[in-house]
Amino acid sequence: MATVNGYQSNTPVASPTATTATKQSVNPVKTVDSQSVLKRLQSELMALMMSGDSGISAFPEEDNIFSWKGTIHGSKDTVFEGTEYKLSLYFPNDYPFKPPKVKFETGCFHPNVDVYGNICLDILQDKWSSAYDVRTILISIQSLLGEPNISSPLNSQAAQLWCNQEEYRKMVEKLYKPPSARIEGV
Amino acid sequence: MEESTSLVCNLGILEKLNDNSIQEIIKSYGGFCTTTESLLNGAGDLSVGPEFVLHVHSLCKHGLQSLVCDHFLLSLEQAFEKIGVTNFWRHFDSYSKVGVLQKNNSSIYDDEVQLVLCKALEEMALEKQYQEKCLFMLVHALQLHKESMFEGKQNADSERAHLFAKYQLMVSSVLMASLPLHFPDILHRYFKGKLEELSRIMDGDLEGKNEFQDKDSMDLDEKGKHRTGEMDIDESYNHGKFSEKNKLVKHIGKVVRDLRSLGFTSMTENAYASAIFSLLKAKVHNLAGEDYRNSVLESIKGWIKVVPLQFLNALLAYLGDSIGYDTPSSGLKSPLASHLSSCSSEIDTPSEGLIRWQLRLEYFAYETLQDLRIAKLFEIIVDYPESSPAIEDLKQCLEYTGQHSKLVESFISALKYRLLTAGASTNDILHQYVSTIKALRTIDPTGVFLEAVGEPIRDYLRGRKDTIKCIVTMLTDGTGGNPNGSANTGDSLLEELNRDEENQEIAGIDDDFNSDDKQAWINAACWEPDPVEADPLKGSRNRRKVDILGMIVSIIGSKDQLVNEYRVMLAEKLLNKSDYDIDSEIRTLELLKIHFGESSMQKCEIMLNDLIDSKRTNTNIKLTAAKQSQTGAELGEDAVSLDILDATIISSNFWPPMQIWHLWHVLEAQGASRHHSMWFPEFQDEALIVPEPVDKLFSDYAKRFNEIKTPRKLLWKKNLGTVKLELQFDDRTTLYTVAPLHAAIIMQFQEQKSWTSKNLAAAVGVPEDVLNRRINFWISKGILSESVGTDSNDHIYTLVEGMVDSSKNGGNSGSCEELLVGDDEGESTVASVEDQIRNEMTVYEKFILGMLTNFGSMALDRIHNTLKMFCVADPPYDKSLQQLQSFLSGLVSEEKLELRDGMYFLKK
Repeated sequence: MATVNGYQSNTPVASPTATTATKQSVNPVKTVDSQSVLKRLQSELMALMMSGDSGISAFPEEDNIFSWKGTIHGSKDTVFEGTEYKLSLYFPNDYPFKPPKVKFETGCFHPNVDVYGNICLDILQDKWSSAYDVRTILISIQSLLGEPNISSPLNSQAAQLWCNQEEYRKMVEKLYKPPSARIEGV
Repeated sequence: MEESTSLVCNLGILEKLNDNSIQEIIKSYGGFCTTTESLLNGAGDLSVGPEFVLHVHSLCKHGLQSLVCDHFLLSLEQAFEKIGVTNFWRHFDSYSKVGVLQKNNSSIYDDEVQLVLCKALEEMALEKQYQEKCLFMLVHALQLHKESMFEGKQNADSERAHLFAKYQLMVSSVLMASLPLHFPDILHRYFKGKLEELSRIMDGDLEGKNEFQDKDSMDLDEKGKHRTGEMDIDESYNHGKFSEKNKLVKHIGKVVRDLRSLGFTSMTENAYASAIFSLLKAKVHNLAGEDYRNSVLESIKGWIKVVPLQFLNALLAYLGDSIGYDTPSSGLKSPLASHLSSCSSEIDTPSEGLIRWQLRLEYFAYETLQDLRIAKLFEIIVDYPESSPAIEDLKQCLEYTGQHSKLVESFISALKYRLLTAGASTNDILHQYVSTIKALRTIDPTGVFLEAVGEPIRDYLRGRKDTIKCIVTMLTDGTGGNPNGSANTGDSLLEELNRDEENQEIAGIDDDFNSDDKQAWINAACWEPDPVEADPLKGSRNRRKVDILGMIVSIIGSKDQLVNEYRVMLAEKLLNKSDYDIDSEIRTLELLKIHFGESSMQKCEIMLNDLIDSKRTNTNIKLTAAKQSQTGAELGEDAVSLDILDATIISSNFWPPMQIWHLWHVLEAQGASRHHSMWFPEFQDEALIVPEPVDKLFSDYAKRFNEIKTPRKLLWKKNLGTVKLELQFDDRTTLYTVAPLHAAIIMQFQEQKSWTSKNLAAAVGVPEDVLNRRINFWISKGILSESVGTDSNDHIYTLVEGMVDSSKNGGNSGSCEELLVGDDEGESTVASVEDQIRNEMTVYEKFILGMLTNFGSMALDRIHNTLKMFCVADPPYDKSLQQLQSFLSGLVSEEKLELRDGMYFLKK
């Protein structure tokens, strides 16, 4: 984070960080002009690119900054180790006051992911806060892979199998299709 | 026509001929042939004359004039060929190799050639005279016959003229036909020799006059008027000169006339013209030479008037007087003879021929001088302000000759060969560029040729990395108030900035005038078309103001880059200031604002405001501190007064990115022992550990700042700034101005005489390698010594007690030495533009890796478009497709990416 020294004059430039986001969540503005959404997404992209987190990534599609493609690698020491999943993220016009719609594009055998790729994750629904950003969403999904919520499954087969990690791993490997081939085909 | 009709009636006569008359004709013809023979070969014997006339008469009686004439002319030709021509050419046989020999000893040959030529011409003239006499005899005879026949004289003159013209033609064609190859050369040498002789006489003449002339410097026209007067004063002296000259000219005139009478008119003219030109050329080279600091054009023109034109004047006059009919410039009936006798050297009413000559000579002089100057233009521009007379000359020459394109071509090739090479420093190139602009602006105010010449320089400079830096230095240097600095190159640009300001004012006035209809009409009326060479794409002359700064900026392409570089330099400069004196910077900024616009210089203005505010704040803080210390007097023993600390408080958002954000401050740390130091922390690593009292001072200052400027807080950048440090040893005191790190290092030795590098690095709070590099400063000053410790990686530094090698510090003992320690490794407080570019590139790299992670593979232009679309942070993506491509291929070679079938992939 940039150190901010004593401002001599002029107003401080709004910094594209979590602090601003928190402020905004405190006093939510109903009408957000698209310009500020654009700015927010651009700065999120910048932050994500510069963060250098391994195993998660996302990037807007060529012509539309509201539509992103994401990539998540299964974490080490989980049954998803060595897999790579593609996601799609659609940001609403009133982002960040509403959460983005996030889906798995690659089939994922997971208790909280259905066959269409829909994800059941609290922060993407009722627990959403404008303090979250793309990066935190991706990290949350990445950790969800290793720590599913068995109590409210979308995929009950997966939920039942979860207790047997060895079998589960075999299932993941069986169902896993590396996304790169698909992408190249496109 | 007349000839042919008489022939027709002669045919009628032929039929009536009887045997008697045939006998008579045969006899007369025989006699005519013999007498002709004896006349022509008789070596001046005219005794057969009457007999000859008789025969002619009788032949004419039978209507055979034409036969008579033809035969006579044929005989003449044969005789001329046999005697005259062979004799004439024989004179020059020995010079057939003159071209080869002329290198050896030209003056002797010249004299010989002159003699031989005169002799040959004389003989020839005699011969010709004799033959003409014979011809005249024939003409006379024919005339007598005619008179008796027609009793009238009507055709006599034309008959004679016709015959003589025929003879003349015969003479020249015979001579031309047998002309040896080297004859024109001989003529040339003859005239050259004579002209040189004349020039010498005239030069002497001139010098004599110049003695008078020097007393009062008058322009040339006046010179002429006065000359006659001076002649009177110095008549005896000039008279000798003059008669000598007169004789010479007469002599030459005679030769020319003789040559003309032999039909060498054009060859002669060529010969003396080329002699004059080569003399003129030599004169121009002699006068112009390598000296660019004086204008030579006027003196050349003066010389033309005095030497070659006078010669021609005299020559044409002589010829015009003596030979009426075959002088080409026979319009010369001006009072030339009187000129000669009255010794007036001015040409009051120059004849048309003479004016033609003058124009020709002047054009030649202009062209010669122009070629000479163009060939040396590079050197001339190198010492431009001094060489402006030469530039002015060149301008006049070019106005006359219009050979600007020659200048452009020659200068560009000189530039490419001599300036735009790896060996030339960017500063030199820029300096030369500025001089070129200035010089060519003089020659061609429209800037058309400058455009052409400047292009290669600009192209080349664009390829240099340090161009922007140099330009900014040139723009700002010399403002630092150090006139003794070597800011010569800078001065010129700064001067331009100033000039620009003045122009702006003038332009403002102009605008007012332009609103006036009258003025607009005047402007329209004096419109001139662009020179032919102008590139129509580049706008017309009115729009193309020659503006040096504009041309400099156009090298870089955009002013933003220039402004950015200036900001970085300004930051560096401001941060290194130990006082708050920024007057010159303010002035420069104001000038730049005029040129680049208020808005683009806004950040720089805030930076300067920071300095001004810092000064105020700094004073305030010190005042409050002083009050407190008066009342409280709570300062501990170790504490140092705030007075020695000066802080620069900056608004980080508006300053260029720095290596590390910093504030600087001065402080004097009064150590318990021998160190007495002033200190401006500067530098590098935030973690720098400053000595305790200094640190306390910092926090005190920050506290006071907070009190004054609540809610703002001060964050110190301890590693930036400068420290004035005084080292006290037993026997001496030295003063240094160093970086904070240096100061922190040496302060550690106050308590402990010897440190291992590991411990010292920990104590100072910098990495060991940085320490080892930085400590060299003190080692080189002879204050610390280095030895290898137990561990080979661990060095031991020890304070040197007493001056072991006092010569090293050469006479510093006891005195104060002030040294500003530059960033010895070229490290700089402010991130340089190159660093910024590198940072930009790493941003791009992350974006590229990010998009490829999510999209698998992408083609070059899609990456380009995506970056354009989404990489909009400061600074936005502004690279060209080519730049991106080379950057990507760099990533490929780093094995971060793969390129297959035009698509880029992440390297797995």
